[in-house]
Amino acid sequence: MADLGVGGVEMRKVTKRFVTPTGAAMTAIHDIDLVVEPGQFCAIVGPTGCGKSTTLTLAAGLERASAGSVKVSGKPVEGITKDASFVFQTDALLPWKPVEANVALGPMFRGAAKSDALALARDWLKVVGLSGFEHHYPHQLSGGMRKRVSLAAALINKPSILLMDEPFSALDVQTRAIMSNELLALWERTRPSVMFVTHDLEEAIALADKVVVITAGPGTVKAVFDVDLPRPRGAVQEIRFAPRFLELYQQIWEALREEVERAYSRTSLANNSARASA
Amino acid sequence: MSVQSASPAATDYAAATDEQSIATAAKARLRRRKAWVLTAQIGVAVIGLGAWQLGTVTGTVDPFFFGSPLGIVLRLIDWFTNGTAYGSFWLQIWITLEEALLGFVGGVVSGIVVGVLLGEVPFLADVIGPYIKIVNALPRIVLGSIFVMWLGLGLPSKVLLAAVLVFFVVFFNAFQGVRSVDRNLVANARILGASRLQVVQHVVFPSAMTWIIASLHVALGFSIIGAIVGEFLGAQNGLGLVIATSQNTFDANGVFGAMLVIGVLALGAEGIMSLIEKRLLAWKPKSASESTVQGL
Repeated sequence: MADLGVGGVEMRKVTKRFVTPTGAAMTAIHDIDLVVEPGQFCAIVGPTGCGKSTTLTLAAGLERASAGSVKVSGKPVEGITKDASFVFQTDALLPWKPVEANVALGPMFRGAAKSDALALARDWLKVVGLSGFEHHYPHQLSGGMRKRVSLAAALINKPSILLMDEPFSALDVQTRAIMSNELLALWERTRPSVMFVTHDLEEAIALADKVVVITAGPGTVKAVFDVDLPRPRGAVQEIRFAPRFLELYQQIWEALREEVERAYSRTSLANNSARASA
Repeated sequence: MSVQSASPAATDYAAATDEQSIATAAKARLRRRKAWVLTAQIGVAVIGLGAWQLGTVTGTVDPFFFGSPLGIVLRLIDWFTNGTAYGSFWLQIWITLEEALLGFVGGVVSGIVVGVLLGEVPFLADVIGPYIKIVNALPRIVLGSIFVMWLGLGLPSKVLLAAVLVFFVVFFNAFQGVRSVDRNLVANARILGASRLQVVQHVVFPSAMTWIIASLHVALGFSIIGAIVGEFLGAQNGLGLVIATSQNTFDANGVFGAMLVIGVLALGAEGIMSLIEKRLLAWKPKSASESTVQGL
């Protein structure tokens, strides 16, 4: 297949093993094949501990693949991927810096003058609706507001690919719906490619163009579903009632359920045997 | 009758129904409590010192060995007005302070630098770690004797002893602080484009700062201990020498007097330290324990 353009991600037969401190090897993902086209919103779902997050760290260049090839924007990943931004489950804001300084970190690390970086940061805070909170410290904001700051901090670098690791799972249900809408609106402004890891299938379908189901660990791609719901999607709360949404949900859930059950029986088996041996 | 003698708090609440008067009542109660605590604190001091003084007057406590509050005050007045055998008393205070401060600064800076360096470079930590543990296991006070031999009776030997004592406290905290930095924060900074130095400057160091600051209170005490013990071991000036001389002439009032001065110095330094700490950690949310702890 030809190289994908800027922001595209291509993973071929990617395997990642970790070596535990005791010396045992653990395979997190195994022979993953995954393509995210430029500008595509790709959601990755799978049971707990299947290595969903590992695929993101490989795309970001935080970890090296043990085997296989990882390409971003057509180039093999060596070192930290340029043009990528990451949004973590727990917000990765520096608690000792005010909000605007946190958002300004990206441009500053890339050599912008401090005043320029701060001005740009204030613009982005306006975009995410946080004007007036520039000088607050992160702990003075609510969870949803902190998430907006994280989004602004991630988008300020104009990434061609946005990596999101269960970004909204720490939020309450209402805030989560609001943040999903805001994410879609922001995404439509600059249209980076997105790899969005979640364990929430509804969230995945409501947001994404494509849903990738990963098997129970060691994770590999089980199935890929195209989500043909029209864009712009509007409120994610409402699209959940669309007939096509329910159809897709049923299809994908069929594939996902087996894996979830397998992962669950494995952990409960482990618990039982641990109890028996105790 | 019995209704009126019920707890006054109950009547406070009964009288006040709107939020504002409840708040004022609560504030008034808090003020009263504070006043009571202060009165009791002064009371404890008066009773303690009074008993001591009375004991020496009546002869139950031997003032030759135990001194007396009045004797201590007179001794201090004598020192402040007539000076000591080796110069004015202010000079002795200043010398000790200077030694402690220089030692403090030297120990803190070297502790932070070495701590951050070893925390950031695991190879160095593995190689140097055991040696640091060995040196740390030594009773470091005995190093004072060596320093006096090497550097003589002047200022440098005391500064070095104070710095060594401070170094280990700060070093271990800085090291631990660097090691316990949130990996997510580091990963995020790297993805945003930070170089290794920028990661240390913007993420690792500020994060370790919480740990380092926690060690500074202990370090401050150690710097004063280092200066005074150093002077004990051999000096031409300083409060440690004042205590040593008083001890050799069986001047209990002198020992207590110098002790009192050191205590005041330490408390003052501690107060300044708290102010600096407050300033540096202004970004921190107030923890529940901080806002409710009273007294200590």
